[in-house]
Amino acid sequence: MDFDFSDDQEMLRDSVRKWVEKSYAFEQRRAIVKAGGFSREAWRGLADLGLLGLQVPEAQGGLGFGAVDAMVVMEELGRGLVLEPYAGVALVATQLLRASHAPSAALWLEGIARGTQIVALAQEERHSRYRLHHVETQARQSGGNWQLSGTKTVVPAGGEAAAFIVSARTGGTVDDPAGVALFLVSKGEPGVEVRPYPTQDGATAADLVLDQASGIELLPAGPALAALEYAVDTGIAALCAEAVGAMDRLVALTVEYMNTRKQFGVPIATFQALRHRMADVKMQLELARSMSYFATLKLGEAPAARRRALSQAKVQLGQSMRFVGQQCIQLHGGIGVTDEYAASHYFKRLTVIEMTFGDTMFHLGEVSAHMQDTAGVFA
Amino acid sequence: MDLSFTPEEQAFREQIRAWVAQNLPKEISDKVRHSIRLTREEMQRWAKILGKNGWLGWGWPKEFGGPGWNAIQKHLFEEETALAGAPRIVPFGPVMVAPVIMAFGTPEQQKRFLPGIASGEVWWSQGYSEPGSGSDLASLKMRAERRGDRYIANGQKTWTTLGQYGEWIFCLVRTSNEGKPQTGISFLLIDMKSPGVTVRPIITMDGEHEVNEVWFDNVEVPADQLIGEENKGWTYAKYLLAHERTNIADVNRAKRELERLKRVARAEGVWDDTRFRDEIARLEVDIVALEMMVLRVLSAEKSGKQSLDVAGLLKIRGSEIQQRYTELMMLAAGPAAVPLIREAMDAGWQGDRAGGAFVAPLAATYFNMRKTTIYGGSNEVQRNIVAQTVLGS
Repeated sequence: MDFDFSDDQEMLRDSVRKWVEKSYAFEQRRAIVKAGGFSREAWRGLADLGLLGLQVPEAQGGLGFGAVDAMVVMEELGRGLVLEPYAGVALVATQLLRASHAPSAALWLEGIARGTQIVALAQEERHSRYRLHHVETQARQSGGNWQLSGTKTVVPAGGEAAAFIVSARTGGTVDDPAGVALFLVSKGEPGVEVRPYPTQDGATAADLVLDQASGIELLPAGPALAALEYAVDTGIAALCAEAVGAMDRLVALTVEYMNTRKQFGVPIATFQALRHRMADVKMQLELARSMSYFATLKLGEAPAARRRALSQAKVQLGQSMRFVGQQCIQLHGGIGVTDEYAASHYFKRLTVIEMTFGDTMFHLGEVSAHMQDTAGVFA
Repeated sequence: MDLSFTPEEQAFREQIRAWVAQNLPKEISDKVRHSIRLTREEMQRWAKILGKNGWLGWGWPKEFGGPGWNAIQKHLFEEETALAGAPRIVPFGPVMVAPVIMAFGTPEQQKRFLPGIASGEVWWSQGYSEPGSGSDLASLKMRAERRGDRYIANGQKTWTTLGQYGEWIFCLVRTSNEGKPQTGISFLLIDMKSPGVTVRPIITMDGEHEVNEVWFDNVEVPADQLIGEENKGWTYAKYLLAHERTNIADVNRAKRELERLKRVARAEGVWDDTRFRDEIARLEVDIVALEMMVLRVLSAEKSGKQSLDVAGLLKIRGSEIQQRYTELMMLAAGPAAVPLIREAMDAGWQGDRAGGAFVAPLAATYFNMRKTTIYGGSNEVQRNIVAQTVLGS
């Protein structure tokens, strides 16, 4: 039982925080949003720090670090509202490439670690609503090659990606957990169309339209879904940590504002109604932090226990993000709803995090469906 | 970072578990598991069983005869006893007054009072709240005037939990009206058998006699029963509050009651109702999150590397959760919780009306638990404290 960070982890945190302060001040971020929600320069900065290879094996030029290190990085990126899809590429896609035995997987991992290639997970579909096994995209084998057809939605930084990890069906009906395989599809191949758009949080995503596009099989049906579930769970843990960082900063901004803003001749921090609201915000922040730790520390459990734990964490984080986000806007009053001031940008990012990898209601359904007789941190 | 207990901690847990399995009387744990009323004799029987093993003062250091456990070991002890269905230890002696006597009492006072607390022989009560002093405790009015080698105490305490059984009571009394209200308060130990002490029941909405008024009419208290210095009692009381840490969240009991809630929901046919089960799922997440927060505090205490000032949050969340599980259990019983069957609160009643013995106490427990967000510093007072920490003033 130990929730302290190691000295190395504190140093890692420190270096990420310094980079965020230097390269990702609010005005710099605003410029990146304006330029399309992705900065090559920032991405290079993350690569230079070694962060893109954080979980890439050393053999492929990475650091081979663990889950707690990823949590530390994500908290700091969350604090700075970093737009680039770090978790999606350096954690989730990396995890899937590591699980693959395809010969090209190692090359893509090297590209990720160097920062020269972005590989994005294209898993969501218009009707899948967070269910990883709900896949309409089809994969057909013809002459030893796989051809994929279908549409994937909200692919993070899809417009910037050199390749996509695509879930597609090699058999079974649309909701069948069997028959879902994972493929790697390169941009620029015939039948691959990318339709980018900005997202609500200032970042960028894309729809990926595949029409008999050729794909390399990363993982066959069976192992693919298990690997996808695990990778998405690492993504959930990463988002939980990002949310904690973002909430931490948003709460700090709100505290500062409440101590400065005067009405009726006194700082608004003196009003009990607002003080109690802030106490409730603090409660949600600390519950969220606790469950973010829980999410990361449960990643190594057996699949059923792991998935239950990650869903529990996402429920808590979802509730916390909505409450902290909404209330910190409210506590700011009018300035909170403006585009000019940072609070609204934190709120929008927290909102998008809730709707990534399963929202609160979705995960509550998962918890509810898989409850055991006993429950608790060690259950 | 590591979520698991060390092998030594695991072994410690096993040792406690085995001991509790052997020593906790089944008729007592059965009552606890069904919210059936415990008698004074039963509460004290368990206290004495623990006392005999040196564990009633489970938070005590070795020099005072305690086991000298660290924060994690204390937590594991609390968890294993709670999960096994042990009654809550009446805290006034071993958890509340004893640490104050250890820290501020004279060696004579320690020798005189601690053994009776450690063994469970002497029943202690708490004399803090007064009719006019609830959240604003420092405004308390009960007076103690020094006359030679004794104090003369006059006034009234209230909400004295289980005071009907009390043999001794520790009181905050006013010894001075000078300066700020906090600076005129003293910490006095009073023998409840003294002439002039009257205990009157307060019946709460669940029909139970759990709390009392205690009246003091010219009660003579030997001056050697004053703890520490005169007019410094507020400091000692605050020390006492700081001493209850993670225990106030009562997360171990919550885990036990969540299990019970699931059993009740199955028995009453609402487990398969998605709307109902989702509420249980929500509570389950709340309990896991609370447990994680408790574990963070324990880890911080153990390592000493970071300070984690969340006692107020633990109290607020823990009490809300206690209310929620009793509420859901009552709602699971539905109309079967409506009949008022007083004899169902005693053991042995088999039940032939409505839902029977299983569900009869559920509403009473729900009503009873409204106290948790009020006592120990109301949740609104806790929010004031939390806000002060967060906002810096």
